[in-house]
Amino acid sequence: MPRPLPTPRPQSRRQFLGRSGMALGGLALGPAFLAACGEDSSSEADGPVTQDTKNLYFANWPAYIDEETVALFEEASGIKLRYTEEYNDNNEYFAKIQPLLSKGNAIEPDIIAPTFWMAGRLIELGWVEALPVAKVPNVKNLRADLQSPTWDPTGEFSLPWQSGFAGIAYNRTVTGRDLGSMDDLWDPAFSGKIGVLTEMRDTLGLIAKSLDIDISEPTAEKLQPALDLLQEKVDAGQIKQFTGNDYMDDLSQGNFAACIGWSGDIAQLRKDNEALDFVIPESGGTLWSDTMVIPKGSDGIDAAAAFMDYVYDPVNAARITAYVQYYSPVEGVVDELRRLGGEAAEVADNPLVFPTEESAKRLSSFGQLSEDDEATLEAAFSRIQGN
Amino acid sequence: MAGEDRKPARFVPWAMLSPGGLWLLLFFLLPTAVLVKMALSEKPNRFADPEFTWSVSSFSRAFEDYGGQFGRSFLYAGAATVLAFLIGYPLAYCIAAYGGRWRDLLIGLVVIPFFTSFLIRTIAWTSILGNQSSLTEAVRGLPLVPDDVNFLGNAYAVVGGLTYNFLPFMILPIYVALEKIDFRLTEAAGDLYATPMAGFWRVIFPLSLPGVFAGSLLVFIPAAGDFINNKFLGTPKTSMIGSVVQDQFLVQLDYPVAAALSITLMAIITVAVLVYSKLFGTDGLAA
Repeated sequence: MPRPLPTPRPQSRRQFLGRSGMALGGLALGPAFLAACGEDSSSEADGPVTQDTKNLYFANWPAYIDEETVALFEEASGIKLRYTEEYNDNNEYFAKIQPLLSKGNAIEPDIIAPTFWMAGRLIELGWVEALPVAKVPNVKNLRADLQSPTWDPTGEFSLPWQSGFAGIAYNRTVTGRDLGSMDDLWDPAFSGKIGVLTEMRDTLGLIAKSLDIDISEPTAEKLQPALDLLQEKVDAGQIKQFTGNDYMDDLSQGNFAACIGWSGDIAQLRKDNEALDFVIPESGGTLWSDTMVIPKGSDGIDAAAAFMDYVYDPVNAARITAYVQYYSPVEGVVDELRRLGGEAAEVADNPLVFPTEESAKRLSSFGQLSEDDEATLEAAFSRIQGN
Repeated sequence: MAGEDRKPARFVPWAMLSPGGLWLLLFFLLPTAVLVKMALSEKPNRFADPEFTWSVSSFSRAFEDYGGQFGRSFLYAGAATVLAFLIGYPLAYCIAAYGGRWRDLLIGLVVIPFFTSFLIRTIAWTSILGNQSSLTEAVRGLPLVPDDVNFLGNAYAVVGGLTYNFLPFMILPIYVALEKIDFRLTEAAGDLYATPMAGFWRVIFPLSLPGVFAGSLLVFIPAAGDFINNKFLGTPKTSMIGSVVQDQFLVQLDYPVAAALSITLMAIITVAVLVYSKLFGTDGLAA
């Protein structure tokens, strides 16, 4: 999933470097890997956990909240919030918590921010607590299209933190024209100058939609033509690289003519470089969400509910949106941003943050994959990347 | 007496070895044992911990599926080692032979770029060699060069990145070896009717071989396991084994296969180093 890139503050480059650096040293992996090798010396934590209503711990993605909300929430609720930016990568974080949660042991954070498909996996595995919805009255403000998402059909385990969409990002200086369809990515004129995302659901999702494949109930079999097309474009040298957020540099520098990218990133980059643009292809774009879930065995369920209620108040949500510039899952944020005026009002009217009604219709989420299909697809997707 | 005085000295070598020995035990032998155990494990299902079963299936997957990546890793690392030698040796020689009182400064200059992070330096090449960089534009302006020439996204870029990133590991040991040589030996060779070329090849170069040997190992081994250069300068078609290990560990979370790949890489490199040292002689290393 895209990591947010708020205007003047942390660069996704930095986030990316941090992540690769960790991978380089294998630091992120160390504890999980060793734990995975060790013997199970843990005790079961099945009984009701004594709740701590005064402390809350939220592990979120980097640069994903404004600078005031944490303090304002603490003041309003009397809850001490430990807010960290340790959630850097879905798979890495999963590797970290898997040895604990799989044995019924609690992890420290009371809220974590998995991307929708990872939330779906955690829900499926039974590693998250049901949300105390009764204690989150503001849940009524949840955007209509997110109320019964594929990853959490009953909506009782997760609440979106932010959402956004993937489409085609391009550099007009290199393309020399506007792009509008997935076929434009495969234009021979851009051979070797096309990037796609390592985020499988966005890359395969966009390609599948261009092949008229329904991605709301995906299976490995249905997606095979999309994999084949991707393989063909890699073999032909059309696709230069698979990237995370780092596509932004390649696009700005013109190493990519066009790539699959995330709307919010381009909204930011456009401020410095008018030649960059973003379009939801004719065949449609993919809608993603990063969610809030409460890991099993948390001792801060009520405190978590208080926090979720706080950030689902449009006034507070708008403050976050003005900073992170993503498609807020909270209804009423647009009005609130307009009321704030100035730069915040510009965010409300930016189609790369809040899609127009017409383009919103062309967005859809990638449905949940069965465990086997996910394994098959991830392995195949990995092979296409040369791994 | 003298004998009694020497007695305590017996455990001194052991005492001196123990910090290093302990370090190796804790941070090399134990992790290697864990790695071997992991490679011989199997995951009962995708999200469960691997279980130790003496299964060799991970190794068969490592051999069957990733031959291409292994091949490319050794090919690129080998090419980078040769290039680093061709670039590094003359440089080290010039500094050692003609550097005079500037020697230390010059060697310092060789190292200075490497105060910056490995990652940043690699990413910098994507700007320098980029599609719209001034360098690329300038080259395109030259006669006989196609207008759409591109430096990134091919095997040459990956080998170039590897060479650049590991070059100091070649220069420094060669320099250290050359620095110890008394260059008046060339004069002596001249007195014995050797041409300057013959003097170099028959006197200086053999004396510097320990440096070449150490340098090529220091370049080849990390280069063979590298994945950063391919990630930024290459394409999916130039992927090396390091990328696969990284992907299996951190994305697929398939620890057994990742461990089997790592062990295979270690084994191949060990054999290669043994053969190499037989050919070029480790005696030199001790000199």
